[in-house]
Amino acid sequence: MSADTAIQLRGITKTYGQGALAFQALKGVDLTVGRGEFMMLVGPSGSGKTTLLSILGCVLAPTEGEGWLFGEALHRRREAELPVLRLSYIGFIFQGHNLMPALTALENVALPLRMRGFSRRAARAEAADTLAAVGLADKLDSLPEMLSGGQRQRVAVARAVAGKPPLILADEPTAALDAQSGMQVTQLLKQLTTQRGHTVVVVTHDNRIFHLADRTVHIEDGRMVPPPADH
Amino acid sequence: MTADLKLTESPRAAVVLAEPIRTRAGFFSRWATMGSMGIQMMFHDRLKLAGTLFGVVFAVVLGNFQAGTFLALLGKNRMFVENVPVDVWIVPPGTRQFQGGKPLTDAQLNRARATEDVEWAEPLVLQTAQVQLTNGGAEPVSLVGTRAPRFAGGPWNVVRGNTEDLLQPGAVFFEDAEREKLGGINLGSVRELAGHKVQAVGFTWGLLPFAPAYAFAEQTLAREILKLAPDKHTFILVGVAPGADHVAVRERLARALPDTRVMTRREYLDAILKYILTETQIGFSFGLSTIMGLLVGLITVALSMFSSVIDNMRQFGTLKAMGATNGDLARLLFVQAVVYGLVGSLLGLGMVASMVSGMRNPQLTPVIPSEAYAITTVLMVGVCVAASVLALLRLRKLEPAMVFR
Repeated sequence: MSADTAIQLRGITKTYGQGALAFQALKGVDLTVGRGEFMMLVGPSGSGKTTLLSILGCVLAPTEGEGWLFGEALHRRREAELPVLRLSYIGFIFQGHNLMPALTALENVALPLRMRGFSRRAARAEAADTLAAVGLADKLDSLPEMLSGGQRQRVAVARAVAGKPPLILADEPTAALDAQSGMQVTQLLKQLTTQRGHTVVVVTHDNRIFHLADRTVHIEDGRMVPPPADH
Repeated sequence: MTADLKLTESPRAAVVLAEPIRTRAGFFSRWATMGSMGIQMMFHDRLKLAGTLFGVVFAVVLGNFQAGTFLALLGKNRMFVENVPVDVWIVPPGTRQFQGGKPLTDAQLNRARATEDVEWAEPLVLQTAQVQLTNGGAEPVSLVGTRAPRFAGGPWNVVRGNTEDLLQPGAVFFEDAEREKLGGINLGSVRELAGHKVQAVGFTWGLLPFAPAYAFAEQTLAREILKLAPDKHTFILVGVAPGADHVAVRERLARALPDTRVMTRREYLDAILKYILTETQIGFSFGLSTIMGLLVGLITVALSMFSSVIDNMRQFGTLKAMGATNGDLARLLFVQAVVYGLVGSLLGLGMVASMVSGMRNPQLTPVIPSEAYAITTVLMVGVCVAASVLALLRLRKLEPAMVFR
């Protein structure tokens, strides 16, 4: 695996259920993502893109196949080791922002940093800087319920990129936002991750943001497919 | 199908690429992070917090009142043995609580006095007698015949008068809490006790056994009132010579007095406790109520924490996806459980203390020893931690991938 490669998957299959009820969500997927790349994973509902994102995020084990994350062989790791990999490599952005309602914006962003071993002071300083970078310097002490949808998703972006994990995985980051906010958040994500050298994989079916990607990868019925002619 | 990227010149070639974060939270840092998160989650959902604390407070109050009432009842039975300065008790054979039986004799008293290391031995008489009331009714008292000048058989907890006042003719100490019952009796009041005119010369406080309240008279007067022969005794009280081993003296007395039961003070107290726990329904009944109180606390906290986990499944899934382990979530729940236990115990014990201090009737007041506060807190924290296991089991099964669904 090349040093320029962030993610490499080979022959990944994922089957849910057993016997007659078995459903194959991924059917031998190969994928390589370069370091620093801003990639979008595109496909209709039920195509397997969320399953693939879950496997990339080390939160779901494939049924078959091999995977490497920045040179780490995922298929050789025990399940108990995966949380450590996630802390080391991945920042997550979820569809519904998934902020902790009891924590302020600053505390939400500082949380994964504290889990990574940042001191309280260092975590708060880094969180404040990152929130300032997403334009929320004046919302540090706001609870999520006091923020708009776009602001919450910006906090989620800050939480994902704070501390500079090399890989950012975003699951439909614009799904819960109006068109304008969705575009702003994606542009912000692109700008921030470009400046800071993150590799980004965004799962989306929002074609208004496709143009922001370095590359779009299409998936249908559990298989990678060539992009349609209009892409 | 393959969608491999052609790794050509990256548009970010000039950018310093982000590297893996190798630092890890240490032991204390993990506890601090998860603990403070858990506490913030608790206090954010105030309705659930109030509901859970209500359960813990209810358990604390119920448990302490039941246990305290049991101790009060136990104290009623043991108060005489507990309070008089007697080292060894000689009681009728078969005695299992503080109750007279076949009278003991002068011969037995003399043999006790002749036993090695017995410094003194005295008889005690105890029997119920009726106080004639001015309205024509009668109230029973447990009349204790205590012997001057030692007065080893009481009275104690004297709130009015002096013990030596019992040497006056017809002098009796009554229970202060029973004054109204005895017809508004005061110092100097004269009453008829089992047909004898007696005068109240002092009052005790809280000497209310299961039987009628204790009243004290010098033994000679008590024998007259109770019509007891001078050579018949309810108990024989023994004081052991300083430095002598009480158990060894008890053994000697038991050998010398085979028709009696001989017990050290500690043994007599234990015998009464054993009797109450095993031979009456009191121990079972109060024990069951106390356990029910704890169970209510356990179930309330367990259900509340479990429902909190269910309500916040997405948050916990997010934590797991970000890299929290089952151990981290266990820390979070543990801290929550400890806080529930501590805060609930503090509130509950505060209520118990204020309720008990507000009670003025010694008949009703539960006995809450100071150790109960520490025991309750430790027990409730333990119950809350045990209750959190249900929530933890649910979280262990939680797949972090659920956050992407």
